[in-house]
Amino acid sequence: MSALAGILIFLGLSLAFGLLLGYAAVRFKVEGDPVAELIDKKLPQTQCGQCGYPGCKPYAEALAKGEAEVNLCIPGGEPTMLEIAELLQVEPKPMQAEATEPKPPMVALINEDLCIGCVLCIKACPVDAIVGATKMMHTVIKKECTGCELCIPVCPVDCIDMVFEQPTPQTWKWPDPKSAAESAQ
Amino acid sequence: MKTRGFLTQLVKTLSPLYPMAKRLLYRFHGGVFPKYNKELSLRQPLREGYIPKQLILPLQQHMGLPALPCVELGESVKKFQLIAQAAKGLSAPVHAPTSGKIIAIEPRVLPHASGLAQPCIVIEPDGLDSAITNVLAVNTPPQTPEAFKQLILNAGIVGMGGAGFPTFAKLPNQPGLVEHLVINGAECEPFITCDDMLMQTHPDEIIRGAQLVAQMFGIPHVVCAIENNKPKAIEAMRQACADSQITITEVATVYPMGGQKQLIQEVLGIEVPSGKHTIDIGIVMMNIATLRAIAHAVDKGQPLVSRFVTVSGLGLEQPYNINALLGTPFDELIALAKPKQPIDYPLIMGGPMMGVKLADNHVPVVKTSNCILANPPEPVQAPMACIRCGECADACPINLQPQQLYWHAQAHEYEQAEKLNLFDCIECGCCSFVCPSHIPLVQYYRHAKSEVREIRAQAQLTEQAKQRHEARQARIERDKQERDAKLAAKKAAVKQQAAQDTQDKKTAQPAHQTAESNREDAPKLSARERAIQMAKARQQAAKASPEQTQPAEKPAAASDDKRKAAMEAAKARAAAKKAQAELSTDQPKQESEKPELSVEDKRKAAMEAAKARAAAKKAQQETAK
Repeated sequence: MSALAGILIFLGLSLAFGLLLGYAAVRFKVEGDPVAELIDKKLPQTQCGQCGYPGCKPYAEALAKGEAEVNLCIPGGEPTMLEIAELLQVEPKPMQAEATEPKPPMVALINEDLCIGCVLCIKACPVDAIVGATKMMHTVIKKECTGCELCIPVCPVDCIDMVFEQPTPQTWKWPDPKSAAESAQ
Repeated sequence: MKTRGFLTQLVKTLSPLYPMAKRLLYRFHGGVFPKYNKELSLRQPLREGYIPKQLILPLQQHMGLPALPCVELGESVKKFQLIAQAAKGLSAPVHAPTSGKIIAIEPRVLPHASGLAQPCIVIEPDGLDSAITNVLAVNTPPQTPEAFKQLILNAGIVGMGGAGFPTFAKLPNQPGLVEHLVINGAECEPFITCDDMLMQTHPDEIIRGAQLVAQMFGIPHVVCAIENNKPKAIEAMRQACADSQITITEVATVYPMGGQKQLIQEVLGIEVPSGKHTIDIGIVMMNIATLRAIAHAVDKGQPLVSRFVTVSGLGLEQPYNINALLGTPFDELIALAKPKQPIDYPLIMGGPMMGVKLADNHVPVVKTSNCILANPPEPVQAPMACIRCGECADACPINLQPQQLYWHAQAHEYEQAEKLNLFDCIECGCCSFVCPSHIPLVQYYRHAKSEVREIRAQAQLTEQAKQRHEARQARIERDKQERDAKLAAKKAAVKQQAAQDTQDKKTAQPAHQTAESNREDAPKLSARERAIQMAKARQQAAKASPEQTQPAEKPAAASDDKRKAAMEAAKARAAAKKAQAELSTDQPKQESEKPELSVEDKRKAAMEAAKARAAAKKAQQETAK
């Protein structure tokens, strides 16, 4: 009798919890892929497409699905690769040769004397950082430019250059005393 | 009062044995007692009226946005004339310190730790010093707080204690919001005596400025705090405010007594909460030099064009104080003090505790420069490992954990450092001063702060880029859908048309019926469909009457002729362009003579190159096929 009571109680409990879990799965369903979101946050958002995907988010989604290598983000460089590898709990992979040294931030600059107003760069810019109209001079909004270099190859007259951003007293950084001490030694 | 006297006595007897006993004499935590060397620059009388060969006036001498120049190259300006107006928002204008000619508006090295060059207006003085009187057009003192703030902004007054925060932005918009006005005459950094000298020479003007601010903003309590190592200044200030509400308080001599939060704690016993401004708790603090500038602006209509500067240091024969014009180069002021040896080492802007070594000694005095220090370089002791002695934590006036902050800063763990209130650090240098391992602690915090600021800015940019990219993707998607929808609609319309046509053929025999049905359908059809129908009707009509075909074909032939002519013209133009290009390449001399031509040529060359590239691409594609 007591054995039957035990079985019945556990049957009842499992049914109740099963229903609860089933309800929770429907009620608290997470939209999108949370892992992809996390990876997307680590990516530099230059939207440059150097990874072979049409933007940072598609690459993050591919990573989350396990379809892409962790070492494809060139602007992010090694630090980003290590962060992604840690997040996905996979072995870090060495970066390609050109991406090992982090590049200083650069922005595109249009030589306004040479621009013919072809709007090709405007179409290429992933963040809409170029303004202009057909047969009108174009210009880059400096603070919106991510330095992805996608506008460079499409320009028919080669009038776009990548330039370093000049530091101002506001953006200037105090030197690291540790590296200074190490270099002195 | 009696217990205070007893405590002072006790500390005096104890301090030879235990110097840190002096920490009992004030209310805030920590603090250090460096060698002051203040007497050096007080031996000489105040210098006035020195006009250098050139005045360099940076457009940014304050926190916020740089001023916008409103004079032209070669223009003659008079003393007090506005030469750069304030930008919108947090900014301050710049005025000409003396009469002369604008000889340059160009980047010059700033008195800043970075040693970067930024736009400056350079004036060559004419030596006449002819001034415009009452340039701020003050006929009656301002009556409302808004007008008062506007006047302070127009006068270009910024906090002259060191931070350079535009003073107008510090003040509230209506009276009654401020309980305490604390006048900062502490001047706690070693070597610096410019505030001491100002209090000794012009106490009445300082008090006048304080009274103006107190009246305008209805501030009931006004306290002036002066360190007790300046007896002459205290005496002068006491005499000047004998018949006013202002009280003069002597405070203990300790570094950093002059820090805003430290002085408030000492004078009022209130600790300013982390991350809050003093105005949030009803306190305004002003430096004595700022108050004097306010008095000048309100009473005389004079903008801020000069300030008291201490020129001192162990490498000088005759250190002094000077009422220097803004823009006077540091190296000229140092030369006046008779250096013991040629100045081949970097000068220090500010005091020995918080000051920064300059990359270039030819930089101008700005609104925030209080001291120029020429201390010959001493052998630097190499930093050793942190031994966790805790001296720095005892000395920190903010009660931070400097050794922990150092640990995280050197390991680049900035999030941890932020959790330990890195941004509450006032960079006073007490921790570096007491460190037995000679670790440049403040340098680590400064570096960590700039790293954190950069990371924050970068995160913002990244977020912005992401949003812009997503907006763009959404737009492209929307455009595509719209196009698809249009295309689908068109296809449907064509199909409908085809169906109708077959129906028409079926019902072609009774002609009048078709016409009627057409008329019925007409309003339903789009303009394009109607045009197609009309064209069809025309064709039928043409077939019906062959004589009418002639005039219909004629305009077509005419348009063909026109097109041909246009083509010919375009070809001729291209040939002419080419010829011109060849001509210009044949004559490189002419090219160099005409720089405008070279731009044209460049463009042409680039176009040619682009054409060639396109052709090559086509060829490649064809071969691939």
